[in-house]
Amino acid sequence: MIEALGITKRFGQFAALSNVDLTIPSGELVALLGPSGSGKTTLLRIIAGLEFADSGTVRFDGSDITDQTARERRVGFVFQHYALFRHMTVFENIAFGLKVRPRKLRPAKREIDRKVKELLSLIQLENLAHRYPSQLSGGQRQRVALARALAVEPSVLLLDEPFGALDAKVRLELRRWLRQLHDEIHITSVFVTHDQEEALEVADRVVVMNHGRIEQVGSPDEVYHHPATPFVYGFLGSVNLFHGRIDEGQTYLHDVAVQGMAPFANGATTVYVRPHWLEIRRQPNDRSHFRATIKHINSAGPLVKVEAVSEWGSPVHIEMSQERFRDLQLTHNEAVFVTPKEVKVFDGESAD
Amino acid sequence: MATAVTLRNPATVVPKTAASTTEGPLVRWLLTGIAVLFLGIFLFLPLVVVFSSALAKGFTVYVASLSEPDAWAAIRLTLWAAAIAVPANVIFGVAAAWAIGKFDFFGKSVLITLIDLPFAVSPVVSGLIYVLLFGLQGFLGPWLAAHDIKIIFAVPGIVLATIFVTFPFVARELIPLIQAQGNEEEEAALTLGASGWQTFFRVTLPNIKWGLLYGVILCNARAMGEFGAVSVVSGHIRGRTNTMPLHIEILYNEYQFVPAFAVASLLALLALLTLFVKSAIEWRSKQQLAELEAATAGEGPA
Repeated sequence: MIEALGITKRFGQFAALSNVDLTIPSGELVALLGPSGSGKTTLLRIIAGLEFADSGTVRFDGSDITDQTARERRVGFVFQHYALFRHMTVFENIAFGLKVRPRKLRPAKREIDRKVKELLSLIQLENLAHRYPSQLSGGQRQRVALARALAVEPSVLLLDEPFGALDAKVRLELRRWLRQLHDEIHITSVFVTHDQEEALEVADRVVVMNHGRIEQVGSPDEVYHHPATPFVYGFLGSVNLFHGRIDEGQTYLHDVAVQGMAPFANGATTVYVRPHWLEIRRQPNDRSHFRATIKHINSAGPLVKVEAVSEWGSPVHIEMSQERFRDLQLTHNEAVFVTPKEVKVFDGESAD
Repeated sequence: MATAVTLRNPATVVPKTAASTTEGPLVRWLLTGIAVLFLGIFLFLPLVVVFSSALAKGFTVYVASLSEPDAWAAIRLTLWAAAIAVPANVIFGVAAAWAIGKFDFFGKSVLITLIDLPFAVSPVVSGLIYVLLFGLQGFLGPWLAAHDIKIIFAVPGIVLATIFVTFPFVARELIPLIQAQGNEEEEAALTLGASGWQTFFRVTLPNIKWGLLYGVILCNARAMGEFGAVSVVSGHIRGRTNTMPLHIEILYNEYQFVPAFAVASLLALLALLTLFVKSAIEWRSKQQLAELEAATAGEGPA
């Protein structure tokens, strides 16, 4: 179990982390998710001992390791740009952590060989053991970096944007592979990412961060379907913002009454609607609609993305299935009716 | 992994020179001719003169000029000064480049400027600084005299002056290299349990070795060839405090041209050797890079 309690870190005038509390249960795969500058990498580096907090405590399995260096903490750390030793072969890279141990703790050469071979087969690169890092592709390098980190049998595995420098296809393959690997070896793991899809797909638990604070911690389902703050809602998917108000539990998007109760105080608010919760119709639907004009249609991909302009003159982003799009036969500059099927409002948030 | 078609020989696709950027033959010959003439007059001819003058009275006289006791003493002193100055500056240069390249600290820019000082200051001034500091009338002179320590007009002064003027070579070569390489490999070594020394010898040093060697060669060439600063602190005592460049000057002023050029030819040989080693190192590291690139390109992305 990793505990980071009351962590504060400043870089000059910039507050990278403000009083952050985070507990990571043993054996979980946790994602630190946030935009750049949200403090996620700083938090990871503080857990690793590569950076030290101005105040706060870090504990591994209950023991205080706040003042221990990275060397003493025995964490496995995987860097975004791999940080492989460029003058060493794949084999030597993976063996490094074992070879630098003090003589008494160092395994015999045969034992090191066996261990490295085992890891090479785990990352499926047995036949590239004698290549240098510059002779490997990005995905291969990242797997070598992972094997190197695992060689020292760390108590926790920390990964800083592990797939950030890879192209889209390799990224997808590698993150599924990481998930499988974690299911096999169950090492407590934390990875940093700015890609919400990656976090939601791979992690057991997602920690959403913004401006040096934790916005929400929860399972991928929880953070996606029950976002605690407008930031989380906005960060986990595209979203349309509308002016609105709450009147006796009824939410209005401008003057359009929408479904769903909002047990909040009366007053102006911001209404959040995901693009796929907006439905385009040719015919008006009681009062639950607003008018819009189609401006741009992008039908490449699993969903059709439609850019429209609402009757209030603001751009609206709408998504629908290919099937629905074929039924509607939408054209440019066509006037349509848009029904919000589900909206999200947050308590105590006034519209700006 | 995905298969990909690799373009094996891009050179066949792109023509070597585009016609629109090529000058006419006359202009090309003229420009090349000027460059060759310039190189010939200012670089090649002097080199020829050094060796031909040295050998003007035959090989026996040449060897005799070099084995003459004062000349031999000068050669030995030069080698000694370089043998002390170069390792000293390697240690300092690596330490300074490490500190500057890897860490942020107060006064870093001042330190960088200080390292450059020997490049900016005239060597004669560098020598004078030591005379003012360690000379008899100097700041520390009376104390040194009282303890019977001789620095100025003695070997320690020559070594100190040599260290001072060759101070920046190694550090200057390594700072940009270390800065470009960043911290990540060292951090990785640290998280894998390596100590500071292990990290330095197993990770940092192998990554900077070619740059370091390059710096050492330049440093050595300058250490052996230094004239100005050494001239001020040496006192020109024949057979005792004369280095090769100083010895050449004395011989020349005494109209002993053949011995002067004989010693000079040694320095010229050293320069040629330096250039050769320097090119070999550049060629070696370039080839290594090309090998790696070829290996990567042949494989295709995975």
